[in-house]
Amino acid sequence: MPEGHILEVREVTKRFGGVTAVNHCSLAVQPGKIYGLIGPNGSGKTTLFNCITGLDRRDEGEIRFKDERIDGLKPHQVACRGIGRTFQIIRVFPELTALENLLVVSRKGGLAGNCQRAMELLEFVKLDRLQNEYAGNLSYGQQKLLEFIRVLMTDPELILLDEPAAGVNPTLLNDLLGAIRKLRVQGKTVLIVEHDMKVVMGLCEMVFVLDYGEKIAEGPPEVIQANERVMEAYFGR
Amino acid sequence: MMAGILWLLLAVMGGLAVLPLFASGYIISFTIQIFMWIALAGSWNLISGFTGYVSFGHVAFFGVGAYTGALLVTQAGWHWLPASLAGCVPAAALALLIGYPCLRLKGPYFAIAMLGLNEVVRALVSYFESFTGGGSGISLPPILSIAPVYYAMGGAAVAVTLLTYRIITSRFGLRLLSIREDEIAAETMGINTSLMKLYAFLLSALFPGIVGGLYAWYSSYIEPLGVFPLLTTITMIIMCLFGGKGTVLGPVLGAVLLSVFQELVWARFLFVHQAIFGALIVAVVLLMPRGIMGVLQERYRLPRTV
Amino acid sequence: MMQVQITGTMVLQIVVSGLLAGGLYALVALGLSLIFGVMRVINLAHGALLMLGAYTTYWLFALFGLNPFLSLLVSVPMLFVVGAVLQKLFVHRVVEAPELSSLLLTFGISIFIANVAMLAWSSDYRSVEFLTGSFILGQIAVSKPRLISFVAALGLTGLAFLLLHRTKIGKAIRATSQHRDVAQICGINVRRIDVITFGLGAGLAGAGGSLVSTMFAVYPEMGLIYVFKSFLVIALGGAGNYPGAFFGGLLLGLVEGLASLFLTAQLSEVIAYIFLVIVLLVRPAGLLGGRT
Repeated sequence: MPEGHILEVREVTKRFGGVTAVNHCSLAVQPGKIYGLIGPNGSGKTTLFNCITGLDRRDEGEIRFKDERIDGLKPHQVACRGIGRTFQIIRVFPELTALENLLVVSRKGGLAGNCQRAMELLEFVKLDRLQNEYAGNLSYGQQKLLEFIRVLMTDPELILLDEPAAGVNPTLLNDLLGAIRKLRVQGKTVLIVEHDMKVVMGLCEMVFVLDYGEKIAEGPPEVIQANERVMEAYFGR
Repeated sequence: MMAGILWLLLAVMGGLAVLPLFASGYIISFTIQIFMWIALAGSWNLISGFTGYVSFGHVAFFGVGAYTGALLVTQAGWHWLPASLAGCVPAAALALLIGYPCLRLKGPYFAIAMLGLNEVVRALVSYFESFTGGGSGISLPPILSIAPVYYAMGGAAVAVTLLTYRIITSRFGLRLLSIREDEIAAETMGINTSLMKLYAFLLSALFPGIVGGLYAWYSSYIEPLGVFPLLTTITMIIMCLFGGKGTVLGPVLGAVLLSVFQELVWARFLFVHQAIFGALIVAVVLLMPRGIMGVLQERYRLPRTV
Repeated sequence: MMQVQITGTMVLQIVVSGLLAGGLYALVALGLSLIFGVMRVINLAHGALLMLGAYTTYWLFALFGLNPFLSLLVSVPMLFVVGAVLQKLFVHRVVEAPELSSLLLTFGISIFIANVAMLAWSSDYRSVEFLTGSFILGQIAVSKPRLISFVAALGLTGLAFLLLHRTKIGKAIRATSQHRDVAQICGINVRRIDVITFGLGAGLAGAGGSLVSTMFAVYPEMGLIYVFKSFLVIALGGAGNYPGAFFGGLLLGLVEGLASLFLTAQLSEVIAYIFLVIVLLVRPAGLLGGRT
């Protein structure tokens, strides 16, 4: 494969019983760009995320991150190589405070040393005043932001976001999109699963389309929008 | 607020330190019991209160420690203190043996394995009769002075509480709590949850082992049914839950309150007592899942370190 | 230790008794597995419910001389009600909560029931002496109560399967255990399914208790070991795999029987335990596979 890919998914297949959730799927992701992963419900997007992050073990194929195999690694090992993710359903630690939610994922240095960075991140999404509130008491949108900055706390090179815009009000959405664009400026690579086509079209430089676990198209957003197969997958057959 | 609590604690500790000088034998042995329960409930807290992995067989570590201590005293002629301290070694070994396979799995496997562990260890102790005395148990020399045991047991209670404090103020402690809150998220964020759980489990087995050895020496006689009762596990659990799981002072509070209630109200009726404990567990889980300290922490915004 | 010559007949004898015990384990485990499948709750009070079933049979036999196998007609519906009430009053409040809550809750319920039984009926061992003796088949002897219990357990397991696969309510239960949210969206009243499932699970435990009482002593703390064994059966078969649970039960009975032949009966529980730990170590999804 050509050099310079940060993530390569090659011919990955994942089955659950008789159902093939991901079917010989291949993607190549270059560093420093924002990618979109779209497809109808049940097309295997989240399963693919789970395979990349080690939560599900792929049945076939291989996954490489910075030219090293990561399929078969445990989730925490994948995370420590530099891949961070968020979840479709919010998964903050409800009975830890907002600040603790960030400190707990730090890997090096003392807790005090990480406090400063954690506070910066809280300020970044305007949650600094709620640092000592239990995460479970925060509003939905605030939890979403907290989960987002919790990923940043681990300083990953590749960030997988599973439907970041779902259930977020327009103001918050703008903040979130701004924050994601800032990541690109910092040289991070982002792969987003998203339903909202407007978000995908406005944010992503490249889009992969999954349908029934197979990649049916890839290309820049404007090309994808015009793709007949994609429209068919979305709007019925 | 914090300073007040600190002063109160110091005063209580001071009082307890000089207690054996004037208190009656009854008060001293009652206090020894409370110390024991603080150490045991605090240890259970380290695995179950922090990580949410329920250990239904924690008394196994206590029993193993009791037998180790008793055998080292009677067979090897050790002094009771090092013999008791040595109780933590087989307890930790047992924790490693069970924890390694069972803690790697999610779900209730660990809880059930722990439920069986106690029965199994008791059956083994009874079976290897030539070594352990089987059902007839082991008699130890009578103790001449109760004060040294008092200080040793008190030391164990303080040590467990300080260890809990040390853990809760560390990243390790936060990681354990994150496992309780959402293990999959913790794992995905780069936390080696299996390893963290194993560490917590090892730490939680140490002091029951030591306290078991002290108990053997203190009661001068042990037998399988006496040191492996399910009731001991039940008591640890309810004390920790009632006081507040995952907190520093919760197990202390739970141990003191329930020991006093138990002594005053229902100690004479074993089955009533157990039935009440059963009902109490149900009540705490449904009505006050965070326990007393948890409720206080939330209401008065106390820091986690209390 | 091995002074006794182990003959082929002895092994066969043990295999037969082991399989007979296994049928019963499978029945009890099916109840636990149903509840776990639908609610993700490990019902630690399962053993206490089994004990109540055993006492029902004992008292009906001791007071009225009722045939223990007929008393299933009383114990199963009674335990169904007990289970449904427990679910409605307590368990439903922890179904969505973290595992810690449901484990502790059912543990508390179990202790409560066992000790109330102790207060009411003392901790004396009691037995239902209804059938004694054995059928002789060639060279092996098969104890009558064991054989009849096995057949009854098999019949009840079969009935439970029919219920799950052929009736509307059974299909709803299976749908709920496969996808709780989807079942709810499809118009299944998940709350009601929970109550019925808990009742069914408790009924199966009660049936197990009734059958156990014809073979072994009845006492308040008899149930705990069955929780453990049922769980082992589920672990062997793979969680949520009902046929797996059946074969797991047979396998456990077999292993226990062989262990008591080649080692010692005193340690048969220890063997079962080590077996569990090894299974978890080697095949976390269960020896017989199945979805997790």
